[in-house]
Amino acid sequence: MSILYLAHTDDNGSLPKAALEALTAAQKLAADLGRPLKIGLLGADVQQAAQSIGGCNAEAFFSVSGEAFGPSRYSTDAAACAALCSAAEAGIVIAPATLRLARCLPGTAYRLGGRIDTNITALDAADGQPLPTRWYYRQRMSGQVQRDTQSFSGPWILTLAPGCAAPAECPGQAAPQAVDVPLDGLTRTTVTGVKQPNVDAQTIRPDADLLLVAGAGWTKKQNDGQAHVKEAGELLLDFLGKTKSSLGSSKSLVDLGSEGQDVLDFLTHLHQVGQTGSTPRHPKGLATCCHGEEPHVVGWRFINERRAVNLDAGCGWAHGKADVLYVADAFDVMKKVNELLGK
Amino acid sequence: MSYHIVVCGSIVPDPLQTLTPVDGPQGPALKNEMMLPAVLDPWAGHALYEAANLAARHADCRVWLVSLGPKAKLQQVMMAVAQKAPFELVAVDGPASGFTDSFAVAEALAEAIEGIADLDRDKLLLFGGWQSASRGAGSTIQMVAERLGIVDQFQGVDQLNITDNGLEVLERIEGGSWLTSTVQGAPAAFGWATGELPEPPNNPQVGMMNMKTIMPALQKAKPAALGNGFGVNNVSLPQVVRETRVVKDMPVDDIARELVDWIQG
Amino acid sequence: MSDQMPEFNPDDLRQSMEADIVCVGYGPATAGFLATLIPALMNEDGTPIAESKAMPGMPPQVLCYERADDIGFGVSGIVTKGRGIRASFPDLDLSQIPMACPVTEEKVAYLYDPVGASRKSTGMKAAEKFLLPFKKNFAAELPWIPPFLRKEPGMLLSMGQFLSWTGAQAMGSGMAQIWPGMPVEKALVQGDKVTGVRLVDQGVAKDGTPEGAFMPGMDVKAGLTVVGDGPVGPVGRGLNREFGMPEGNHQREWAVGMKMVVDLPEGCRLKPGTVLHTLGYPEPEIFGFLYVYPENVASLGIFVPSWFDSPVRTAYRYLQHWMMHPYLWQHLQGGTMRSWGAKSLLESGRRGEPFLTGDGWARIGEGSGTTNVLTGSGVDEAWTSGAQLGQAVIDLLREGREFTKDNLDVAYAARRRASWLEEESVQSEKARDGFQKGMVTGLMGMALSGLTRGAINLSGPQKRVYERIPSLEEYYRDTIPAGEIIRIRDACRAKGQSLHDALMDRAGWPSIPFDGKLLVSHQDALLMGGKVQANPGFADHVRFLDPQACARCRTNICVEACSGQAITINPDGPVPLFDREKCVHCGACLWNCTQAHPDDPEQTNVDFRAGSGGLHSAEN
Repeated sequence: MSILYLAHTDDNGSLPKAALEALTAAQKLAADLGRPLKIGLLGADVQQAAQSIGGCNAEAFFSVSGEAFGPSRYSTDAAACAALCSAAEAGIVIAPATLRLARCLPGTAYRLGGRIDTNITALDAADGQPLPTRWYYRQRMSGQVQRDTQSFSGPWILTLAPGCAAPAECPGQAAPQAVDVPLDGLTRTTVTGVKQPNVDAQTIRPDADLLLVAGAGWTKKQNDGQAHVKEAGELLLDFLGKTKSSLGSSKSLVDLGSEGQDVLDFLTHLHQVGQTGSTPRHPKGLATCCHGEEPHVVGWRFINERRAVNLDAGCGWAHGKADVLYVADAFDVMKKVNELLGK
Repeated sequence: MSYHIVVCGSIVPDPLQTLTPVDGPQGPALKNEMMLPAVLDPWAGHALYEAANLAARHADCRVWLVSLGPKAKLQQVMMAVAQKAPFELVAVDGPASGFTDSFAVAEALAEAIEGIADLDRDKLLLFGGWQSASRGAGSTIQMVAERLGIVDQFQGVDQLNITDNGLEVLERIEGGSWLTSTVQGAPAAFGWATGELPEPPNNPQVGMMNMKTIMPALQKAKPAALGNGFGVNNVSLPQVVRETRVVKDMPVDDIARELVDWIQG
Repeated sequence: MSDQMPEFNPDDLRQSMEADIVCVGYGPATAGFLATLIPALMNEDGTPIAESKAMPGMPPQVLCYERADDIGFGVSGIVTKGRGIRASFPDLDLSQIPMACPVTEEKVAYLYDPVGASRKSTGMKAAEKFLLPFKKNFAAELPWIPPFLRKEPGMLLSMGQFLSWTGAQAMGSGMAQIWPGMPVEKALVQGDKVTGVRLVDQGVAKDGTPEGAFMPGMDVKAGLTVVGDGPVGPVGRGLNREFGMPEGNHQREWAVGMKMVVDLPEGCRLKPGTVLHTLGYPEPEIFGFLYVYPENVASLGIFVPSWFDSPVRTAYRYLQHWMMHPYLWQHLQGGTMRSWGAKSLLESGRRGEPFLTGDGWARIGEGSGTTNVLTGSGVDEAWTSGAQLGQAVIDLLREGREFTKDNLDVAYAARRRASWLEEESVQSEKARDGFQKGMVTGLMGMALSGLTRGAINLSGPQKRVYERIPSLEEYYRDTIPAGEIIRIRDACRAKGQSLHDALMDRAGWPSIPFDGKLLVSHQDALLMGGKVQANPGFADHVRFLDPQACARCRTNICVEACSGQAITINPDGPVPLFDREKCVHCGACLWNCTQAHPDDPEQTNVDFRAGSGGLHSAEN
């Protein structure tokens, strides 16, 4: 049974970075298990993507393409992925955990009588089988998944979390074999577009070098007995503008909004970092005015270097969670930081 | 148009609890798992509130909450959840552990949904959490929907509007944006992100009403067999305790300079 | 104030519901009540013993509203003889209740001061010399424990787990509903009669002003209101105000118990079932306890009483110094905090007993004066009072009699008066009076009352708490010059910090070496141990009634004593700030106030109302 690497193109027809990372993992697994690697590509036009990885030593290339498969849509994506798996006679499928594939591959696995394990952070091989590692309980603990592949008939699909392997670099010629997917009953859903904040207001930048996290302290009363929410907002946006960093928030700050309190109006639940929010990946993270409590810090699992500015020397950050904790007024510090950045 | 909304959701440890893995007879478990306070999974909670809100705005809608968990714990958590929104409970007795196979959980949930006598599949909107605070695989709802024959599915949903054209959906995609789609109508499945609704207040009358189905549902809860051929091994906590340098009494200018050097370095 | 004032009468939106019995608070007393009542509500033939008046054709409808976000959230490790609990569950199997076990060994230890910062009176120093032959590890284990203090044969329980266990049984029966996360604002009083309860408003601002999602608290009408909301519960205290207290009774003696559940270090020598009680350290007035549960877990803590006349009595820092005493630290070092919390204890006992019954209502539990202040036992007594009311209600239902004061007096109050609960309560009534005059007198008084079964007591007048609290200058007159106190106070106020750390440092207490596991900052204890939370949409439940009274206060003891650091210095004025997201609902602020209530000398300037949230741990 072969290992199928599955990926989709992005809007430009190329493969997303996460897909190239997953290819590295797929190549390694194929080598470790001594099984043939096949490639399945999905998109409006996959030619450019195929050329970008044509040198990956795959045994075969398959594709599902056409306008209907351009946009991210569950019905067509699930059907396309199932068809690619069947065409490749896949026993194991490796795919990037992009939101598009994360949505459709569980259904694909189910249709084919297979199983799926998602958001894999490390992929080893043992006893002739994949041995994937993933997080449980919101990045609180990790474990290795073991499956008896005899207990089901379809493919074992594994999606790889972004940032867990080096992106593959293997351009070359490839001529994917087209796989036909009938569209009957698959177009009840129409993708109408992408809604995004305008460029100036966009404060979530997944590829930024730095994550700036704002905590509820920004909206609390300051030394003069007044809250300075407007000034807080200006300081944060000024910093984000100058550093092009990505903005995150503690849950308590986002929740203040739903309590009707005066909050930073550019923050939404999408910014929330932590247990019930996101777990972004950035090389550096700076926490301001947040206490560093455990549920929030689990969202920092993939932030390598961590610094915090907080008025409380005994706060959660001090206990082995940050590299540096500056005990200082974040208003003063960020004002000065912005000044220096502007020079 | 009326809808039959089925929300899948179970219980998870209260988010502030300290979680430690231990090896149990059936594989990994959480230390003191049955003692840890539990709550309805936050994402499932959003789905439930959205379902109740949708049902309140359209005539003749019904909302079921299908929940797989240990009966005793479900009973306790339902006393809190029942006050939040009107629903009818369908309980399945089994583990709510994160260390279970999403496929097996999906089968158990789908079977329970298939057993709902009054459910009109043509009106079915299947709701659930996009993620969860336990396994968090993001794969269960899709498999439940597949078994129920639903091929229009959405994940990371923040908004669902019912219009003359159908159901307009906002799904989260990479980079802080949303994908907008329209599906012609039910049946469809939605894995909710946080949605847009705050947690509703505790309404004792809603609670009393819900109890009429909750207690019988718990008494009737069938045990779920979660299959075999799956295991999680070597579960461990990451041991990354950093040597935190606590900087006190440093002038603001120096802190700022140090930070800028670090940011630009 | 919110700027979204509604243009409607909240009562127009207020819902109302009928039940037969409504209970306030799910603590041990209500648990005892329901555990007794529920199994008896149905006859053997499956018919109810009485028909519901609220829902004709149905069995009596029994509801219980609990403030905490789940039943069993709260704090207490318990050692108890468990007579009442065993009477309710004759076949009780402790192994079915997590963290429960029988008592196997009891010790009482006097702790010497290993750091030299503790205050010791001449009398205490004399007592210390007497115990020197037994001294080891800065502690002397008493060679003999008075029988009135012994709990063997008894049991250790986690209150949280025990209540979860009883609550699951009650709800599983389908005969009662216990609703968590639902604070009760007050009893509905009509003339001399209580007709039910009103739940708190939701969707309000901090000051109670309705906001967008406003939902006025529902009225739950019931033939019988069972009040078991504890000594700081707003419903019970509201009844005290409404109907007064019996002649001569008052609630002037309190303590705050601050406690932890700890995973003991590997290889710890303490055996399950061990009970340690300590006295003497960190200050002579502070008592400590350590109970060892199965699986190398301990429940431990201290009691800081109202007669410890320190105006900066912070339980948290004292708890840490107590844990680090060599006698305890030998067992605790390397342990990990699992849970933490605090609770006020009404230590007036029988003397704090309010009216037990009235038309349509009955009082049970600690708020009804059940705690035995001599034996230091409260849970089993509370349970027993609930069980007695349960039996009374069964009798009245069977006989088809109304829940009038007369009927409840005969069925409940008389049953309580005729029981061991009353007998022992009377014996202990004056046992602690001696502490009003000092630690040594207090201990002698306890011994006298205990050994003579209340026949001889060192009795005397009892001051109100606020009448006892000295100024900082008085309290520290031998250790810190007055001028320095002023400087420390000003410095702390400027930083918005409480005084106790600065003053304790100055008084010679060593700093706490935080280890991030067991010795952590107060705020981390809230997060790591208490998991303290508060739901949005509720009003602040701690209110300072008269700003002028706060302006007169020179100690801000409410800030110093606040178990959750939820009450803080206000840089803008005399009235302290309150952050309900940090409140553990211990109620210490209610009695730790230097100022009398504007209209009632038995109350203080702090009002502790119905509020949401608090501890989120059921392991205690």
